Amino acid sequence: MGENYSPDTDVRKNVMMTESKRMDQNTLGSYRIQPNPRISVTFNRENIQYSGGDQLRSHYIVEGIESQSISAVERSVVWYTEGKGEEDLGVVFFERIQLDRRRDGTQASSTSLIADHLTGALATDLPHSPLSYEGIIVKIRWCVRIRIFFRSGRDFVSEHIFFLGSVPVVRLPAKIEK
Amino acid sequence: MRLPTFFSKKRGNRRTGLPVWGSLGEGIYHTVLLMAGLIIGVLMLAGVAVPEWRINNQFIEVDGRLIGKGLARHTLRDVFGGAKYSWRPALLVQYEVEGENVESWNTVHSSETSETRAFALHELDDWELGGQLRCWYDPADIKTVVLKQGYSWWLWLLALLLPGALVAFGITGLLQSLQSWGRSEERQAVQFGRIFETLGSPPPETVGFPTIPACDNLVNSPGTMLRFRLPTESPEAWSLIGTGLFSGLWNVVVILLAVNVGFDIAGGRANLWLLGLLAPFTIVGLASVALFFRQLFLITAIGPTHVEISGHPLHPGNQYQVLLSQAGSVSFRKLELFLELEEQATFRQGTDVRTERQVVWQSLIRRWNNVEPLPGTPFEAEVQLQLPSKAMHSFSTTHNTVSWRLVLRGVPERWPALVRVFPVVVFPAESVSTYGGKL
Repeated sequence: MGENYSPDTDVRKNVMMTESKRMDQNTLGSYRIQPNPRISVTFNRENIQYSGGDQLRSHYIVEGIESQSISAVERSVVWYTEGKGEEDLGVVFFERIQLDRRRDGTQASSTSLIADHLTGALATDLPHSPLSYEGIIVKIRWCVRIRIFFRSGRDFVSEHIFFLGSVPVVRLPAKIEK
Repeated sequence: MRLPTFFSKKRGNRRTGLPVWGSLGEGIYHTVLLMAGLIIGVLMLAGVAVPEWRINNQFIEVDGRLIGKGLARHTLRDVFGGAKYSWRPALLVQYEVEGENVESWNTVHSSETSETRAFALHELDDWELGGQLRCWYDPADIKTVVLKQGYSWWLWLLALLLPGALVAFGITGLLQSLQSWGRSEERQAVQFGRIFETLGSPPPETVGFPTIPACDNLVNSPGTMLRFRLPTESPEAWSLIGTGLFSGLWNVVVILLAVNVGFDIAGGRANLWLLGLLAPFTIVGLASVALFFRQLFLITAIGPTHVEISGHPLHPGNQYQVLLSQAGSVSFRKLELFLELEEQATFRQGTDVRTERQVVWQSLIRRWNNVEPLPGTPFEAEVQLQLPSKAMHSFSTTHNTVSWRLVLRGVPERWPALVRVFPVVVFPAESVSTYGGKL
């Protein structure tokens, strides 16, 4: 697509969320400081590069939390836009696991809550569009989102970017005829 | 112990927050609006609607006699101590209620008062002392009497417009707050997105290709030489429509103003302010008409442009034949056909909604210099279009768009530059099209 439309892999960074800083955690009834959650996600492809129609399989671990403090976990595979315009969002996979109900034996799930960490896995077929895109005023990102809901009402969300397709990064040419 | 954080924090790709507070704040805000709308609505109904309804449905009709008349003055004082007066005819009516003679001044609505004393006096002349008249009295208070029935619909409309808007805004906002209460944006997109999907089925060509715009309108016109003729999205046409609309509306205002001024002059009154306004308004109106006809002339003089293409939608890495046909008798110093990728983003800036467009990639397909048309024959050229193998597909969502287009740019000998745009839709590479076959 010409020299101005060449792939630029440097721009893409793996943003695995393995570290975590202190998280504010308050409750309305009892103000308690929760321990820091650490969420790490692994993908079934090392280079986190997928094509339309591929199956994405992902495994996540949430660590450093008190098991009693979590009320629900939502995991989703979404795309969203970034840039100058308002954000548009599309969801291709969504699952909510109500952990407090699960303890009562009313809901089974693929999430495991053991002592001070929580693990889970998800799998979904990716669509053919939209592809990941790094434009000038419009950008399209794909990610796995893990959202933890605490009993206090607070939530914590962690995004783990991957790439659908291999559209090169757009670089504005020096001159454009108008 | 720490106080709750009412806002969300974002660190890198992690966010934490208390979304319930946001929903609660929005809910309270919209509840206040809803309550304000309801209170204002009730006050308006009590002040305007109910009294009028009672006059028309509960007041009892009776024959009466006019035994006195005068002017009633209403004084309205502003905060600076100034006073504003309005007048209305005040009529003393005598009528009989269950054998009892009642005398009472008539009640009128505030909308029936006049700011001009002379006008109220003129109205008063229409009433003859001692004359018989029909009146309606309030059975709950027989001293309350009116001489006119009917509804003032415009007052109802005005009275209900503001509370109606507040109530609608409040209810919509409350529903949105309830929708987002305790739900993440992903959950909302899944739950409420499905509702919208059931309301309207998406166009068939987007099945399996979310966010790729429909291209029905781009493939429903067969070409004369190649498979499809592309519709044009000429900015000149939009400019012509815009100029025409502006010119039409502006000149309607000028005509109304001129008629008003004409009546004033015929009646022996000349309003200098109106006369002063009329002159610049007329100049702008005439200029807009001239601009409209100039643009119309340019478009018709240069002639239409047709573009045909051998396949559609387009796929990265594929080659297509493109036929360009430029009609008209105008000579061009330069004609250029481009393939362009344009991004479009819609965003809010304050209370405005703005749209920004940017051409982010451009490729010259072909340039023709010194194009001289033959009489009665359009300029025609067939060129080959090669789409980049890693081209982004067309993308269209509510606020963001990535679109491909063929653009013809021309520099005529004596006319302003010409730009004509022909949108095309690009599908992702290595995908299966609804129009058949693996691409």
